[in-house]
Amino acid sequence: MVSRLQVQAVLDRVRPFLLADGGDIELLAVDGNSATVRLTGACANCPSAHMTLHVGIETALREEMPDFEILRTPGATS
Amino acid sequence: MTVPESSTMDTLVVGRSARMRAVFEFLRVIGNSESTVLITGESGTGKEVTATLIHEQSRRRHRPFVAVSCALFSETLIESELFGHERGAFTGAIKDRPGRFEMADGGTIFLDDIDDVPLAMQVKLLRVLQNRTIERLGGVRPVPVNVRVIVGTKRDLKQLVADGAFREDLYYRLNVLPVTLPPLRERPEDINDLMDHFLSRYFRRRGEAVPAISESVKEAFKRYSWPGNVRELENACERMAQTCTCGTIRVGCVAASILFKAAAAAPVLTVPLSATPLPAMTPEPPGGVPAISLDERLRELESTLISWALKMSNGNKSKAAALLGVKRSTLGDRINRCGIAAPA
Repeated sequence: MVSRLQVQAVLDRVRPFLLADGGDIELLAVDGNSATVRLTGACANCPSAHMTLHVGIETALREEMPDFEILRTPGATS
Repeated sequence: MTVPESSTMDTLVVGRSARMRAVFEFLRVIGNSESTVLITGESGTGKEVTATLIHEQSRRRHRPFVAVSCALFSETLIESELFGHERGAFTGAIKDRPGRFEMADGGTIFLDDIDDVPLAMQVKLLRVLQNRTIERLGGVRPVPVNVRVIVGTKRDLKQLVADGAFREDLYYRLNVLPVTLPPLRERPEDINDLMDHFLSRYFRRRGEAVPAISESVKEAFKRYSWPGNVRELENACERMAQTCTCGTIRVGCVAASILFKAAAAAPVLTVPLSATPLPAMTPEPPGGVPAISLDERLRELESTLISWALKMSNGNKSKAAALLGVKRSTLGDRINRCGIAAPA
């Protein structure tokens, strides 16, 4: 089980860059070893940026928490 | 600043930092020289670009420029590669083949990764540099060559000499005109120019307008340490140029690994000397240059660094204090003095 705090801490590392770009990443839920986030801002609407952020953040979460499984982003194909 | 104007702009080294300006100045001074150049620089700092530049502004510019990486060949292959061989010199040598030195005749040879040349081969190189003649493998007569030699190394040759891995006599032969290329992390002020340079190259190639770059991306690029130097930055720019769909380069175009590493790095502290004065500053300074308040600036600096440490330690003050190398109690005092609220 990964904790909400741990996931949030990883997200918080890159949030300043997203916020400065008029976007954000919001942690919606943590269930078991997976989490659901919502990306907002210009990058959320760009397919390639969305994928880059999704994959990159998921990789960072797994590096931090070896048990972490899946990062979900609702409403986007990924 | 991009110097010198005469050369092909696309292959140039870019930089306005004092370190790069000194390099350009040195290259300009040695422009007409025929002496051996030793270029030292980490991987990706632009050794080959620099060598090309030296060749392009020399009198040999209309003659060949031959670049060889000495790390590419095994100990036995490198000799035939550099000096060539005669027919029958070894199994498979079915015809005469000139080496790179002969191919570069009249021009410049760039021997990169000279630090990877085995000791036995170093003796032969030394002889070539001294006598300006080569002998093909299996050949009997020396062939005179007129070649300007430039060598590149990632490692400090002087240190290798001290360790006994590099011949001292060869080192002195090579180290006539030393050029040291600084790693990108030591010249963060050049990062913006380099981004502009590479991005405009990719977009112009596609015949498109160069998009704006968001401040957030600039900040991330400035903070990232670029272990692969300019080459890594070039690749990052190519990636951004390929993936950007919205007309502005934003954080989503940047590899997340760069963002995470940039986030972990301490903020780059640049003092904007030319920036508009803050309200707290004296309005009418003598001499027209806006005065700044040192105390005010130092407080800003302190507060930036403390906020960073608190963010890195998720608000844990003991960890933040350890990060900053101060006592927990000292940090508490300073937080109060700067009026920073601990992150929620």
